[in-house]
Amino acid sequence: MKLLTALDVLKQRLPEGGPVREVFLACGFTPIHLQTFLAAHLQLYFPTERIEITTGVYGDLVGNLERLQPAATRLSALCVVIEWSDLDPRLGIRNLGGWDVSDIPDVLESLHQHSQRLCQGIERFCGTVPISISMPTLPIPPLFISPLHQQHHHELQLREAVASMAASLSRNQGIRIVSSQRLDELSPALQRFDVKAEILSGFPYSLDHASTLAELLAATIRNAPPRKGLITDLDGTLWSGILGEAGVDGICWEMDGRAHIHGLYQQFLASLASAGVLIAVASRNDEALVEQALSRKDMLLKRDSLFPLEVHWGLKSESVRRILRTWNIGPDAVVFVDDSPMEVAEVHEAFPEMDCIVFPNNNYQAFWDLMRRLRNSFGKSTVSIEDSIRLQSIRTVAAIGQSLQDAEGRADEFLKNAEASIVFSLGRDVHDSRALELINKTNQFNLNGKRFSESDWIGYLNEPGAFLLTANYEDKYGPLGKVSVLIGRDNGSLLTVDGWAMSCRAFSRRIEYQILRYLFDVFRFEEIIFEYRKTDRNGPLQGFFARLLQRPPDSVVRISNRCFSQRAPSLYHRVEDTLRHGA
Amino acid sequence: MELDSRLVRCFASVFPDLTTEQIKQASGKTVPTWDSLAAVTLIAVVEQEFGIDVNPLDLGDLNSYSAMKDYLRHRLNGRMSERSNP
Repeated sequence: MKLLTALDVLKQRLPEGGPVREVFLACGFTPIHLQTFLAAHLQLYFPTERIEITTGVYGDLVGNLERLQPAATRLSALCVVIEWSDLDPRLGIRNLGGWDVSDIPDVLESLHQHSQRLCQGIERFCGTVPISISMPTLPIPPLFISPLHQQHHHELQLREAVASMAASLSRNQGIRIVSSQRLDELSPALQRFDVKAEILSGFPYSLDHASTLAELLAATIRNAPPRKGLITDLDGTLWSGILGEAGVDGICWEMDGRAHIHGLYQQFLASLASAGVLIAVASRNDEALVEQALSRKDMLLKRDSLFPLEVHWGLKSESVRRILRTWNIGPDAVVFVDDSPMEVAEVHEAFPEMDCIVFPNNNYQAFWDLMRRLRNSFGKSTVSIEDSIRLQSIRTVAAIGQSLQDAEGRADEFLKNAEASIVFSLGRDVHDSRALELINKTNQFNLNGKRFSESDWIGYLNEPGAFLLTANYEDKYGPLGKVSVLIGRDNGSLLTVDGWAMSCRAFSRRIEYQILRYLFDVFRFEEIIFEYRKTDRNGPLQGFFARLLQRPPDSVVRISNRCFSQRAPSLYHRVEDTLRHGA
Repeated sequence: MELDSRLVRCFASVFPDLTTEQIKQASGKTVPTWDSLAAVTLIAVVEQEFGIDVNPLDLGDLNSYSAMKDYLRHRLNGRMSERSNP
């Protein structure tokens, strides 16, 4: 982005009074153009919010962080941009502190001390605001004795200390570090440092570098949710060859058969599956043959990782439709990969929101690009417990779904024998990303459809009296993981529920009733107030309230303990309660 | 003409409240928002827009629209004549 464009983006000011996204940009240099680019990139990501970026004073990165009070801020994000001179002024060119050989060990010692203070300054904000960090991006000045083509051990020690600091910081939930590899790809090393701007105005970045760095920082602040599922073709995609013609032993994915990229693709999909990405098959093929092929012992992607399999001679778009129904996710959360441009076009026409990709047969570079594109689409910071059981719970739901739709009397019998258990967790864990995901992604059983940004979520849970209740469900058919999240406030005389969502995978198990019983038992209020709002899609929640109230719910729902006790159905779950964190 | 419109656009991005006519009369003395930050931003925008690198010694003279325009005309003509040399 050019500076002119960035300024133009920011000229289109939104009206006062609307939502504001306030970001603190902490750096030791004059933030000037980086601030402009960061605001512009954030404005493009959040077009309905007014972007406000505040900064500290020149030359004191650590002090800027130390002066900022975590409890007193309502920041949407904290952005920390570190350069070498923040770790010791002698690693910059604006200070004349000495580059004698004898000074270097002291520079190293000073860098260690500064980095410790910096880590402490940053970690104070963990749990109060999402944090994005850029580690030093500029070249180290030529202060070492070695020629440019050779790395001196002092330089290596500096780089080691900074890498160690980044690794340590990145272990904190809520801290995201800008990828130096991605920055290397987008911003050539020799074109980053603007010596003239650094000396004249204290701004060390070239405009191109500032724009690129701002874009990556904005992307880490935005933290877009990853896609959830990938639907793959088989012939010419998961393996080389046509199964119906070559037979089970004729298809291949190894180096000898010049089919190595198919092996890599299998390995890559196995990696995605291990991180909780759903993988399904949509193939025009013979089902029995496919089962045999997928059972080959040398398959890198195991048969168990694939669900469901849509193998028939019908339209691919119909297969995709059925897979989406089984997964219960929208097309915008899915990638479709097929080697046939025609099939890709057919699916794309049916699902324009879906990312539909032609598998690049015989084009190794394009295949490399595909893997990177897929990793970006499915990228996440951590693998949660829910990620690890997602596939199993979808299989379970698909298997017993029909039984649960049976008549009420039989459902009662079914639930009684299901050996169901619910583990409640009451607290205010702001880093529970699954809880935030549930409240932001669930539509059908959602109290009011309100969505939360990461910073809104943290801010809410840090309010006095606020609490977060989550429910993990498991029965003899398998675990469903964290299926419900509820947030509320206990002000001593009233219990108000401001948000409540439950995964549709958990419907018909009476978990919602058990949650209410838990609230009445633990908080001991005679009445609970729900900040309910009817939405186009929260019919199941409306039905739940209507059954308890025996009338359609109003805008604010009040349910008394007495009413609940009289109207709730029989509950058979075994209930456990985990540690409460300061609720 | 092209130089004029491109330069006006640069000024408009830094001083969004000025009209085109006001921009053409603008100087550090007549525009209250023309502070050191605006000056640094304006020079950076102009350098990027016109693909030039302003000599630090010239910065002090570039304190008005007309000075900037004269400077650019000189620099861009110079570049064209340099290019035309074999």
